[in-house]
Amino acid sequence: MFRKCQCQLLDVDIWNVVPFTFSCFLFNSSSMRTCQTSRKLPCSDCVVKGCEDQIQHWKNVKGDYEVLEDRLKTLPDKVSYDIMVPFGPLAFMPGKLVHTNEITVLLGDNWFAKCSAKQAQMLVEHRKKHVQSALDDLHKTKKNFEARVGFTEDLEKLSDGKGGYVDIREELEGVVCKGKRRVSLKPHSKPKTEAIVKMEEEEEEEMLNAEGSKRGVLSEEELWARLDELEAQEQQEEELDRRFDSADTNGNDDTTSSSSEEEKDEEGDRPAERSKGGTTMPLNGSQVDRTALPPRDGGKEEQEDDEEDDGLPTIHFSHTVEPKKVRINTGKNTTLKFSEMKEQKQQAKRKKNNGTSNGHSHHGLHITSPTDIYRLFVDVKNGEPVPRKSILKSRSRENSVCSDTSESSAADFEERRTLGRSPSHDDNTYSDTGSAITEEDAPTGELPVPTSRFQAFSGTVVEKEPIPLSVPQLTIAPPALPTIPERKLEEVVPEAPQEAPQEAPKRVSKFKAARLQHKGP
Amino acid sequence: MAEAIQKKLQLELEKYQQMQKDVSKSMSARQKLEAQVTENNIVKEELDLLDTQNTVYKLIGPVLVKQDLEEAKATVAKRLEYINGEIQRYEMLLKDMEKKSEQHREVLSSLQQEYQRAQGRAVGKV
Repeated sequence: MFRKCQCQLLDVDIWNVVPFTFSCFLFNSSSMRTCQTSRKLPCSDCVVKGCEDQIQHWKNVKGDYEVLEDRLKTLPDKVSYDIMVPFGPLAFMPGKLVHTNEITVLLGDNWFAKCSAKQAQMLVEHRKKHVQSALDDLHKTKKNFEARVGFTEDLEKLSDGKGGYVDIREELEGVVCKGKRRVSLKPHSKPKTEAIVKMEEEEEEEMLNAEGSKRGVLSEEELWARLDELEAQEQQEEELDRRFDSADTNGNDDTTSSSSEEEKDEEGDRPAERSKGGTTMPLNGSQVDRTALPPRDGGKEEQEDDEEDDGLPTIHFSHTVEPKKVRINTGKNTTLKFSEMKEQKQQAKRKKNNGTSNGHSHHGLHITSPTDIYRLFVDVKNGEPVPRKSILKSRSRENSVCSDTSESSAADFEERRTLGRSPSHDDNTYSDTGSAITEEDAPTGELPVPTSRFQAFSGTVVEKEPIPLSVPQLTIAPPALPTIPERKLEEVVPEAPQEAPQEAPKRVSKFKAARLQHKGP
Repeated sequence: MAEAIQKKLQLELEKYQQMQKDVSKSMSARQKLEAQVTENNIVKEELDLLDTQNTVYKLIGPVLVKQDLEEAKATVAKRLEYINGEIQRYEMLLKDMEKKSEQHREVLSSLQQEYQRAQGRAVGKV
C-alpha cells in the first residue's frame, strides 16, 4: 500500500476541483434568490453586491482554467519532470513527475476519467464555456439591479434638495367639482377633464422628479401611516370617480409605469398612493394638457421658487378666480369677449327668476365646472344663444376654441388640439345639459377639423357650426364616422359651410327648446 | 372571550410558522437538487466528449473503481432522470404547502380581526 501511495505521489494526477465549485456557486446563487424572495422589499443594493462577489468568483475560476490550459499544453513536452513534491502541509521532497500525458479528470459527481493532455484540454474548453455563460448572466442581473439602485440614489438626491429637482406644489382649497359627474357610456371615452381628479391620476404616473414632495421629511413609519390615510381617501374618491375610466391614464401608465414601476416596487407603492393626496400638480406638459381648458378657472398664478424646509425648491401654484380675458374665435373673425353676452342673459334669467330685472351684466364668472363653461361660452346665432359643441368632442376645435391669453396655456394648446382630435368622436357622449343632437350634426361638426390630419391648414376657413354638445347615437359606430367624413372633407370642404348654415336652423334639440322655453316666460 | 381568541391566535400563529419552516426546507432541498442537475448535465456532456479508450473511474468511498464508459453514461443519465423526478415532486409539495399557508394566513388574519374587535369591546365596556 505504501508503495502504491508513493507511486501515487510520484504520479501526480491532476484533480480538477472545479465541478465542486460549480455546485457551490449554484447553491449560493439560489440562496441569494431566497434572500430576495423572503423579503418584501428586495434589497437591490445587496443583490448588486452579491452579483459582484459572484462575478469575482467566476473570474477567478476562469483564470484558474486558463492557467490549467497552459499547463496542459506544456506538460507533455517532457517524458518526466524533476519537481519538489509537497509532503504534507509543511514540507517538500524531491521527486519526479511521470506519465505526463495521463490526466485523470474529475468530471463531477464522483466520476473520473483518464485522458490525454489534449483531451483534458478539450474538457477545460468545454468548462470555460459554462463559466462564461454564468458570468454573462451575472453581468446582466447586475446591470438590472444597478438601474434600481440608481433610482434610489435619485430619490435620495431629490429629498436632499440637490440635483436640480424642483417641487411644484399647488394647494387645493375646497375646490370640489360641483358639476354633475358624467357617466362614461363608452368604455374608452376620454374622461372628463376634472382638474382634481386628473391631477390625482396624473400623479400616479409622475416621474420621480415631480413626486415625493414631502417624502424627504417624513420617516418611514409616518409614510406608511400617510399611505393608509391616502388609501382611505382614494377609496372615497374612487367611489365618486368610478366612472372616470382612465383610458388616457392607462395609456400613460404603460409608458411611464415601466420607469416608475421600479420605484414603486421599491417604495412599496408609496409614491403612487401618497401623491394621490393631490397636493402636487405636475407641470409636465404631456400630462397637464389633459386638463384642457375648462377647469382652469381664472388665471394661473405661478410664484417664484421658494425654498422649502424640506430642502426642495418649490414653485407654488394656485388657481385664482380672476376673470380671464379670453378671446373666442368664432370663425367669423369675431371675438366674443368672454361670456359677456351669455353672462348677461344668465344674469337676466336669474334676476327674472328672482323677480327683479337687471340690465347690466356683472362679470361674476361662476365657473366651477365645465358645465358652466359650456353655458357661458356660447355663440349667438340668429339672436339665440346656441351652445357650443364641447371642445373635447369636436374636431373643429382649432377653429372655434377659446384661445387663452394666459401664457401657460399656449404650450398646452398644441397638445390639447392633438389630444382632442383623436378621441373626439368618443367624447360625444358627454353632455352637461344632456342635449341630444341629430346625426347630421356630427359629420359637419367633424369636417373642419380633419384638415389638420392631412396638412396643417387647408387654406379654407371653415366656419364652425355651432351645434349642440353631444352626439350620443353617433359614437356607437366609431370606425366609420371619423374616417369617412375626413375623406369627404377634401372634396366637400367648400360645400360644408354652405350645408351647415342651412341645416342649423332646422336642428333644435329638445333640450335647447326647453331652455328657450325657460327663458321665454 | 378575548383570552380565548388570543389562545386561538397563538395556536394558529405557531402552525403558520411551522408551515413556513417546512416551505423553506422544501425550497432549499429543491435548490440542492437543481445544483445536482446542472452538475450531472456537465458530466454527461463531458462523457460524450470522451471515447472508449479513456478509462472512467467512479469514486466510491476511498476507492476509485473502474467503470465502462457506456455504463457510466447510462448511470449518469439515470441519475439525471431521477433528480428531475425529485424536483417535480418537490415542486408539487411546495405548491401544496403554499396553498395551505395561504389558508392559514387567512385564518390568522380573521382571528386577528376578531381579537381586535374583542379588545375594542372590552375597552369600551370598561
